[in-house]
Amino acid sequence: MWTYEKRLQFPVNIKKTCPKTASLIISQFGGPDGELAASMRYLSQRYTMPCKEVAGLLTDIGTEELGHLEIVCAMIFQLTKNMKPEDAKTAGFDAYYIDHTSALWPNAAAGVPFNACEFQSKGDAVTDLFEDLAAEQKARTTYENLIRIIDDPDVLAPLKFLREREVVHFQRFGEALEKTKLKLDEKNFYYFNPEFDKQFAKA
Amino acid sequence: MAERTQLLEQIQQIGFQIDDLTLYLDTHPLDREALDSFTQAKNQRYQLMQDYAREFEPLNLYLVCPDTNNETGSYCKYPGQKHFTWSDGPLPWDNQGGV
Ligand SMILES: [Fe+2]
Repeated sequence: MWTYEKRLQFPVNIKKTCPKTASLIISQFGGPDGELAASMRYLSQRYTMPCKEVAGLLTDIGTEELGHLEIVCAMIFQLTKNMKPEDAKTAGFDAYYIDHTSALWPNAAAGVPFNACEFQSKGDAVTDLFEDLAAEQKARTTYENLIRIIDDPDVLAPLKFLREREVVHFQRFGEALEKTKLKLDEKNFYYFNPEFDKQFAKA
Repeated sequence: MAERTQLLEQIQQIGFQIDDLTLYLDTHPLDREALDSFTQAKNQRYQLMQDYAREFEPLNLYLVCPDTNNETGSYCKYPGQKHFTWSDGPLPWDNQGGV
């Protein structure tokens, strides 16, 4: 069950219309390493996790990612809400405008629609936690790519906050992997699937 | 307006402390110092949320109280009338609500 809180996790107050920037940032909404994929990845993986604390962590990080999705969408909204027809013609945003006007629709910066294949849920705790560690690094790289080419300080502030959260999530998933290993046969952590071959997991 | 912004900023800051401490405690459930910080932040947040709902709009559904919410009557479509105060206030993604 979720409860909505009517505020953003980090303030977004962008004054300058810029569809070009929106068309780049949208990757962190519906792109391969975006917040939608992150949230759905963690919230899908948690059910079969053999370690209860790790399932709890996936719930809490998955929930925070929903808040990040909201921050990214608020940024795109504020960058495009006062668009004039001239702005809509901006290369890179024009095609999106034809199909969605200024509404939010998840796709990658290159225009590829959101795809559920972006969120891996394999049903093996070790595999899935490695996936999550990589996902956090990929999201961090994407934020760094954005930060490198964007100048508007109103856009940079939330992007830097979101980048830092990826670093923290990576740290926590690393700890989750260590906790999971404590429950496995130390002779060979990677030989069995602890979510299926339950006889090899410690009580 | 200044007070709304200030109070919302405080809620945002204390809320973030709780978000960050939650993830830390998920993997370090016995850390005494973190537990104390969590309790302190949680109590502070509770008070701020109550204060904000009394002066402005309720930020979650459980703070909706048509008789006591939004004393300042800001961002309100039905001033002076008993109404569902959940709809008061700006939207979080609007510039003035994003603070
Ligand atoms: Fe993350």
